[in-house]
Amino acid sequence: MTVETAANPTWVPPTWDEVVREHADRVYRLAFRLSGNRADAEDLTQETFVRVFRSLAEYTPGTFEGWLHRITTNLFLDMVRRRQRIRFDALPEDAGDRLAGSDPGPEQTYDEMHLDPEIQAALDDLPPDFRVAVVLCDLEQLSYEEIAATLGIKVGTVRSRIHRGRVLLRQALAHRAPGQRPAEPGAVRTAEAMSR
Amino acid sequence: MNSQHLSDEAVAAFADGVLVGHARERAARHLNGCGECKHAVTVQREAVLALRAAAAPALPTALLDRLRSVPLTTPINTLPTTIDPDGTPMLATFAPMAALVPVDAPRTTHRARPFVAGAAVMVLAGALAASSVAHGSTPPQNGTGGYLNTVDPGPGPAAGLPAVTGLRFGRP
Repeated sequence: MTVETAANPTWVPPTWDEVVREHADRVYRLAFRLSGNRADAEDLTQETFVRVFRSLAEYTPGTFEGWLHRITTNLFLDMVRRRQRIRFDALPEDAGDRLAGSDPGPEQTYDEMHLDPEIQAALDDLPPDFRVAVVLCDLEQLSYEEIAATLGIKVGTVRSRIHRGRVLLRQALAHRAPGQRPAEPGAVRTAEAMSR
Repeated sequence: MNSQHLSDEAVAAFADGVLVGHARERAARHLNGCGECKHAVTVQREAVLALRAAAAPALPTALLDRLRSVPLTTPINTLPTTIDPDGTPMLATFAPMAALVPVDAPRTTHRARPFVAGAAVMVLAGALAASSVAHGSTPPQNGTGGYLNTVDPGPGPAAGLPAVTGLRFGRP
């Protein structure tokens, strides 16, 4: 945790290699959760680190992770908007190619055995704004305030996006949840009302 | 009765345990007598558990290598230069083992130096760009709607200088 010892007077700036080793996993995981496929996750990760490298002048010790979250998330949202603008109709047809990514290696074989495609699919079905809020909150474990700052929105908006995103997610995974009790009146209110 | 149900925001906040003080007490009291809201809180928590139970993908090793070589493959707008204590102009190079190295050229030409180093970097950058295109990447475009203005200082002449002092580009 070299970069987090801001208060320490003996703080030594990390080497680029240390920056990459310490943060690459997390950035890639976030990028994958957001984009839902390897090729986009790799592109987002690489572009995030390129931006970091180009913008090191802005860096102050202690803010690295927030900074990375903000760059990755905003690059993802930019990507989504760009594709919406150009009507990315071809995506379903070539989705298989894109899912493969550029580096089929031992990690991918492992992933295919361990990743849960159903949960990722449920995540992918969320509107991007909801997905970002849920991923940052529940997987990256940022506070509502940190998410609000990352996205430049109000905390109330963060809360309602998280709420709605989770309801949709839970609904998509309903068939496999042991705790689900659809007979309860709450199921009608929360699940069906939200699906409209 | 319906008007007293917890708001969606309160349901999420309660499920996450971040409601405090009076708001929390009021919500807890309501939840004691309201199966509907209690279920809504459960839905929130189950969604979180399902998400967290899902394994995360591992970082591809080839990507890790590409990230490590970002300093070699990324042309920056202004190469960082500075003056060392005895007045020698310093120029950052991007060889893996390099830190700041003295520029021993006459003062009148040291401005051209970044260009030379930049040209060498560009060769590698070109190779990277080609491989990037080959696997269908979408190159970043200018005009990203201002989202990254806070992190990308752009082509300002002052941008490069602290970058060197803030980071070592290799072992000393």
